[in-house]
Amino acid sequence: MTDSGPTIGPMTGATKPSANIHEYLAELEDIPGTRVYTAARARRGYHINQFAMSLMKAENRDRFRADQAAYLNEWPLSDEAKGALLARDYNHLLDLGGNVYFLSKLFSCDGLSFAEAVSTMTDMTFPEYRDMMLNGGRSPEGQRSIRANLAASEKGN
Amino acid sequence: MARITAGVGSSHVPLLGVAVDQGKTRDDYFGPIFAGYDWTREWEQAEKPDVIVLVYNDHASAFDMKIVPTFAIGCGERYKPADEGWGPRQVPDVEGHADLAWHIAQSLILDDFDMTIINEMDVDHGLTVPLSMMFGTPDAWPAKIVPLAVNVVTYPVPSGNRCWALGEAIARAVASFPEDLNVQIWGTGGMSHQLQGPRAGLLNAEWDNRFLDMLIGETDAARWIPHIEYLRETGSEGIEMVMWLIMRGALGAKTRLLHRHYHIPCSNTAIGHIVLEPAE
Repeated sequence: MTDSGPTIGPMTGATKPSANIHEYLAELEDIPGTRVYTAARARRGYHINQFAMSLMKAENRDRFRADQAAYLNEWPLSDEAKGALLARDYNHLLDLGGNVYFLSKLFSCDGLSFAEAVSTMTDMTFPEYRDMMLNGGRSPEGQRSIRANLAASEKGN
Repeated sequence: MARITAGVGSSHVPLLGVAVDQGKTRDDYFGPIFAGYDWTREWEQAEKPDVIVLVYNDHASAFDMKIVPTFAIGCGERYKPADEGWGPRQVPDVEGHADLAWHIAQSLILDDFDMTIINEMDVDHGLTVPLSMMFGTPDAWPAKIVPLAVNVVTYPVPSGNRCWALGEAIARAVASFPEDLNVQIWGTGGMSHQLQGPRAGLLNAEWDNRFLDMLIGETDAARWIPHIEYLRETGSEGIEMVMWLIMRGALGAKTRLLHRHYHIPCSNTAIGHIVLEPAE
């Protein structure tokens, strides 16, 4: 065979070595208390997020409020996702691929402020969370890397 | 010829729009935030930009998960404020500059940036809050807007390097537009904030201020910051700061600082604001 495949033209513009996608994705999973909205989560949570998006319309909000379970049954959602939505278990919904900008449509539908809804994902009450924010927010100290925290605790033992 | 005369960076927290719309901008909570924009509002009145290329992200308002464009440019004549679930903000419609927008879109595509073109959409707080911060509450916005929407939600989002290079290409595109126009570029979003998970509420004033430092002068260090650093240091939504790099890239090799402001907190978020001009 002399065919060496398609000819690749000269490179133009700035070049850099391709990032290693596996290392890139692994790092995104290394942040404590954080679910980065990766392609894998976006794929898994597609219908959760599109359901949430439907609440942008007043008539859908009214139908949802009237019978939440029936409204959810119109969507191709797992029982687990339906349960988490009914329970407003936002950390669980993040695990199932929900994204906070979509889930915020549900916050609004419930009449919850963004900050109050966000506080339900932490181990604090809303007043405690609000005070933390007024006092400068949560420090990144000790919150940067699961692996680093693990290594530090093994060193300490 | 058209030229980019200045760059503005600003957070676009929706609560700031609520403060403007409810007349609370001088109360104890919002007063210190808005005071940091007084200089800019006066400066904008003197500058009178014709057009603003406004870099922002849509927050599940115009776009849902059906289509996720990485870089999208608004080439329409007019955009209405989006209904984000509690009725649209009572702010003026946003007037586009279709001639310049189409010129930029074509130039960018020829310059190897494969843009998505938008003819119709509503614009959410990501775009209208910065307008309120910089222009207050006029009956009509005093400049035409070219919206440039960036995906900073679904990973991978564009790299800082790519955003910077897009800014450089926007500056070339504007410079080749024949009409004499005073064009500003605004980069919005950030600064540190995390709106999800047990780590929600993370803020990092030290890192944010280092980032502001990196936008001034000749350094291009900020374009090389990897995504993981934004995520670890500034929270999952701090990644919006890559949009500021489009603004910075458009200002050329060197910038001069005109104004700077930083305040913690606004709701869940650190407020950052900077005004820069290109320097020789």
